Formats: sequence, C-alpha cells, structure tokens
Amino acid sequence: MKCEWVRENILLYVYNELPDDARYELEQHVARCVDCAVELKATRVFHANLSALPVEEPTPNLLAASRMRLQEALETAEQGGLWQRLTFDPWAWLRQMRFSPALAAALLIVGFAAGIGTMYSILGSRPGNVAQLPENSAETPVQASISGIRSVIQEPGSDKVTIKYDATTTQQTEGSINDQRIQQLLLFAARNNYNSGVRMDSVDLLTQKPDDVRVREALLYALRYDSNPGVRLKALEGLSSYVRDDVRVRDTLLEALMNDSNAGVRTRALQLLEPVRADSSVRAVLQHLAGDDKNVYIRSRARTLLAQLPEID
Amino acid sequence: MAGNTTGRIDDTTLVREAQRGNRAAFEELVRHYDQAVLRLALHLTGSEQDAQDVYQDAFLKAYKSIGNFRFECSFYTWIYRIVTNLCLDQLRKRQVRKEDAPVATDASGEEYDVLSQVPDGRAAANPERDLMRRELGGRISRALEKLTPRERMVFELKHYQGLKLRTVGEILNTTEETAKNTLFRATQKLRSALGDMR
Repeated sequence: MKCEWVRENILLYVYNELPDDARYELEQHVARCVDCAVELKATRVFHANLSALPVEEPTPNLLAASRMRLQEALETAEQGGLWQRLTFDPWAWLRQMRFSPALAAALLIVGFAAGIGTMYSILGSRPGNVAQLPENSAETPVQASISGIRSVIQEPGSDKVTIKYDATTTQQTEGSINDQRIQQLLLFAARNNYNSGVRMDSVDLLTQKPDDVRVREALLYALRYDSNPGVRLKALEGLSSYVRDDVRVRDTLLEALMNDSNAGVRTRALQLLEPVRADSSVRAVLQHLAGDDKNVYIRSRARTLLAQLPEID
Repeated sequence: MAGNTTGRIDDTTLVREAQRGNRAAFEELVRHYDQAVLRLALHLTGSEQDAQDVYQDAFLKAYKSIGNFRFECSFYTWIYRIVTNLCLDQLRKRQVRKEDAPVATDASGEEYDVLSQVPDGRAAANPERDLMRRELGGRISRALEKLTPRERMVFELKHYQGLKLRTVGEILNTTEETAKNTLFRATQKLRSALGDMR
C-alpha cells in the first residue's frame, strides 16, 4: 500500500506540489525502499530530459513588433459599447459588497467628502428671482467649475427643478520639492496634465529625485507614452544614470530606440545605450538597426558600435 | 504575482482605469504580462507568427471585454484564460490539419522535425552533444503533439511555465483535482512515447 501511494505521488513530489507532511512521508519511504528510489530517480531524469525542448524567451524584436502591432490595433478598437458599460449587474455587485462592508462604508464617506454636492432651487416662473447660491460660496474666494451633474428632478405640477451637481475648485499649494504632497502632485501632473508645458516642468523637477521608485515609474511612463517629444527627452535624461543597473530602464530605452517617432529621442536613446552595448538585448537591437533602419545616422552608428564589439562564442 | 513588485502600479488600479476608457492604463497592464503571454504562445505554437497572432487576439479581446471583468479572479488568471483558449483553438486546428506539422522524412524513411534541424547560433563546445540535444528536442516536440489539446495545455502550464496545479485549474476553469489527473495522463503518454529517454 505504501509503495502504491508513493508511486501515485512521485510526480507531484517532483513538481513540488505535495503538502509538507506528505512530502516528508514520501522521502522517508524512498530512503528505505530501493524500488521506489529507482522510480523517483527515473522520474527526475525523465523530467530533466524534457528540458531538451527549452522555453525560449521572446526576442526583443519580437516583443517590440508585437507591442507596436497591438498599439496600432488599439487605435481603432472600441471597448465594449455604451450599453455594456452602463449595464449594472446588481447580483455581482452584491456578491462583492456583502464581503466588503468596510469598502461600502468607505465608498459612502468618499462620496460625501470628494465632491462638493450643492443643491439649487431654480424658480423659473417668478420674475426677479435669481438662483440662490449657498451662503458660503459667495464668500469663498475660489474659482469653481462644474465637473458633473448628479441628478435633475422636476417637482410634479410646478416649474421647480432641483439639480444636484459636483463642482471642483482651483487650489494652490507650495513647499519643498522633497515635500510628500508636492511629489504627489508632480507625479500626477507628469502623467495626467493636458498641457505639455506643465508636464515638462513636472518631469524636469522629478528628475531631481530619480532614486524614488515612483519617480522612476513616472519617468518610464513619460518616455513610453507622452505625446510630446520634449517631455520624452526630459524623461530620457532623468533615466540616464540608471541604464547600467536597471534592466527595466534599459528595456524602455530599447523600445524608444526602436519605436519612437522622434529622431532626436531615438538618437539620444542610442547614445545612452552605448555603455551597455555588450548586453545581448542591446546587441540584437543594434543588429536590427544596422541592417534596416531608415535613419542614416542611427544605421551608421549601430554598425560602428557592432564593429567595436568583440565576437561572442 | 499581480501588484507585488516594488514600484509597479497595482493591477486593480490599472484595471479600473482601463474600464473607464483609459487606454494608457490598459497598455501598462499589457506590459505587466505580455512577455509571459508571448513566451507561452511561442512555446505552444512553435511559430513566431502564430505566437504574435495569439498575442494580438488575446489582448484585443481583453481590451474589448475589460468592462466585463468583475474581479472574481486576478487579472493574471483572466488574461491567461483568454490566451489558453486561443492556444487551445490553435492546437485543435493543427490536429485537424496534420499537413501543417513541420515534419520531413530522411533517407532511411525516418521522420524528423524540420525545426530541430535549424543550427544553433552559438558555437557549441560539443557538436555531437548539440546534435543529440536537437534530435531529442524534436522527439519531445512530436510526442507533445500526440497529446490531446487539453493534456498538452495542462502539461505546458505545469511543466514548462511552472504554474501551480491550483492555478492551472483556475485558468482552465476546472478543479485542481482534474488538472492533476490530466497531468498524470499526459505524463504517462509522454513516457510511453519517449520510452528509451529515461
């Protein structure tokens, strides 16, 4: 019986799928039973031999080409239609919420605190009446703008309409560049601002603290996705001292070198990758550029760098 | 796996943003997993072109239906489900269209895997060992093709991709026990087919 149990579980043992107590029992048995020890060895050898068909990592070229192709397709792809997005499955929501009373409470609190819900009574038919603003808003020296309308309800049988809406206000803060709040705002601006000048200023300030992991993520994001080449160049400069030590930075520079639409960004990426040209991924990209690239400078420089590299056996 | 790397934006945040129509968030999500997806598709299909097609179809499908993602499983499991279904379709088509198998016959009438004949770019210290390894790789490839698509998928996810059986079960929408039994069957078939390779 024991040998039978062991034979049934040898495969799981080799794959490290057995619970600890079963694993211990199996090892104890195999130490005493020659037949089972032979079977275990045979299973291990068989599994080791399966590595003759290795799992290859996709080449940087294949990965970059796949990403580009996907990006092009995403330009024209549409997410699930409006109806799909608006369709609310109350049972699925309830299933989540019943296990998350804290989440439900948090949502309630955030809903109250996040926007400024204001109620207006608009008395359309009485002459001389004007919209009654809440008392405090007339004294608040800030500029308010409407970010969304929550509800519009007309009182039956009258001209009275009640509108609930959310408003955002412009605020200002100042502090040291090392201030946590300042950092948070800069990180937000680097990713989300519609004004490229603001994004550039934010990225420029962030490059003063590239050791911060969040800052490095923001710089990588800007290099990959920002629509403005000036912002992408700034991000590139901020990442320059991490090319040697951070593989993610190196890979992102390789992507920029292969795919960026701006020749200046590509050229600078190539210059920053020169110290690590012995890296096999960098070498593969250089080989591709040396053969195929439309940019004369990049093609020529890639050939020069490859010629300087020693042959690798 | 999801969201546990220092500095990496949490998948949940990215998914919620993507569901709001933020394409950049979706693209960041793609980058968290696309190398693993491409690796899986490449090993299963054996073809860069087919792997790229699987990659494209999987992420486009994910983009179009991300609004339906309800966080009942991790995004990792969800995207792997999409990829494995696409790969299963490919494997099933190949079983029907046997003429696509890259197999040729040598002078003695023995079949061999054409792909295993592609010379290794690295200078080998031992060419004979290198040749044996390629031949063995070819035999393993042919033995894997004899498995059913489902057996092949379970074996691939467990042996070559190193996933836990519980995860394999979740991805294939089945139980861990069923995944285990499928793995046993696949391994037995492979050991029969590769009998002398012990």
